[in-house]
Amino acid sequence: MTKLRKSVLLWLGLLPIFAITLFPFAVMGLTAIRPADEVFAAGWLPTRIQWGNFAEMWHATGFGRALFNSLHVSILATLMSLVIAIPAGYALSRFRFVGRTNFRRFLLVTQMLSPIVLVLGLFRILVLFKALDSINVVALLYAGFNIAFSVWMLESYFSTIPRDLEEAAWMEGASPWTALRRVFLPLAMPAITVTALFTFVNSWNEFVIALTFLRSEENYTLPIQILSIVSGRYSVEWHLVMAAALCATLPVAVLFAWMQRYLLRGLTAGAVK
Amino acid sequence: MRVNAAFNPYALMLPGLLVSGLIILWPAGQLAILSLSEVNRFGQVAGFNGGANYARVFVDPELYASLWRTVIWTVGVVGGTFVLALPISLALNEEFYGRGLARVLVMLPWAISLAMLSIVGRWALNGESGSLNLILRTLGVIDVNIAWLGQAHTAFPMQIALGIIATLPFTTTIFLGGLSSIPADIYEAARIEGANGRQIFGRITLPMMRPFINIAVILNTIYVFNSFPIIWATTQGGPGNSTDILVTYLYKLAFRFGRIGEAAVLSLVMFAILLIFTVIYARLATRQDEA
Repeated sequence: MTKLRKSVLLWLGLLPIFAITLFPFAVMGLTAIRPADEVFAAGWLPTRIQWGNFAEMWHATGFGRALFNSLHVSILATLMSLVIAIPAGYALSRFRFVGRTNFRRFLLVTQMLSPIVLVLGLFRILVLFKALDSINVVALLYAGFNIAFSVWMLESYFSTIPRDLEEAAWMEGASPWTALRRVFLPLAMPAITVTALFTFVNSWNEFVIALTFLRSEENYTLPIQILSIVSGRYSVEWHLVMAAALCATLPVAVLFAWMQRYLLRGLTAGAVK
Repeated sequence: MRVNAAFNPYALMLPGLLVSGLIILWPAGQLAILSLSEVNRFGQVAGFNGGANYARVFVDPELYASLWRTVIWTVGVVGGTFVLALPISLALNEEFYGRGLARVLVMLPWAISLAMLSIVGRWALNGESGSLNLILRTLGVIDVNIAWLGQAHTAFPMQIALGIIATLPFTTTIFLGGLSSIPADIYEAARIEGANGRQIFGRITLPMMRPFINIAVILNTIYVFNSFPIIWATTQGGPGNSTDILVTYLYKLAFRFGRIGEAAVLSLVMFAILLIFTVIYARLATRQDEA
């Protein structure tokens, strides 16, 4: 069988799968550009493309404010989780110490726990401290739930950076701190970037914590904002909702297309090694 | 040489331990207290009530209905994903023109958050001009529009389908990782010995893929068992409680019905189930490493 023949057959065989995986994007895209009076009309393609929907959506759905909140919570969560996870990942990759295995086990358990199981307990604590409806508190929770994954991911990359490089710097008279900053961190930058992006995307997409702890509309992140304009209203302006969903998804889709080959490592790291 | 105090591994790990401990152990402790207390619907604790919450939870017929649906949901999504992901990853592992693009196309749903996917689902499955009705009418499968999310027997399969779309990219990625770890010379040797395609698949590919399949299945089971957004954002477990799974029922108990003590019991039960899954996962992952 020639490669060309094989390629044609495989593409034909995979076509139904692409139809499924592209379906949500097609629905979002085709609805987002429809003129308002054609949204409920039968037929695949709109008679004209209404780019103005995106501008209208921006005002009608409160997109700007929710976008700002999503950026705020995701960036803050990413920074906090990096500040906590980088030293821990470094310790796990560079030192053998008593309790190391137990720490790894503890991380594994925290990685498997979904926030939904703890949400009631967290709610009680936040009520106690009058910390409900705060974007910064939500960011702290996101950081907490992303630490385990970040530590796994960083540790597995840090272990590939040869120790000799730092030791050579010590020999040259650099303090451990300088060696870390000048030698180790620059080499670790790609891993840190990928880990940061992953935490960012997780926080960007998170649902149950935001739904439970952000109570007033001015604090809503994008998923909650968009869900709130779909739920509990008699008539939903679907072309605007789909335009908003598309705008909330596309930046992440681009990041993901770029990141996906790095992801496997962290996702399956778990108890390996 | 003298090692700086900041390079003590315990000091380096302390912040991580503190924050994850704070976010996991403290709420878990709160749940334990709540589960043993009489709690009114505003969350005020009126004192210890023995095992009354536990007794109430375990005779609640709605709980068993949601438990049963959770089993169908988890088996449906994990099983459906497995059945699709295996041939897809085998195809994507072949050398062919446009393979890079084909891989990206399969991975794309990974980028949509579950909440957005569910909102798209709500629109695509609506009973007036939803895209699914449009497709099925064009193909001649149905004559009248169906409000897919209007009743449990059509809503639940659709939710499972959305779950499969969301789970497929991750599973395919793991399977591709597994396939690429099989050395090419084993296949060559088998072919020289005269093995046919089916024998190669059954005797070489599948056994060598085994650890990756195990890990994908157990991780998916954990994620799907816990997955809240799809069901919540499409039907909120409704109509009535007819599409509730454990997590959505738990959420309703806690934040809708004000049955906080019972919700705490259910949280702890799920916590325990998750621990069991995690132990299984750790065993499998460690064994794979030794192999």
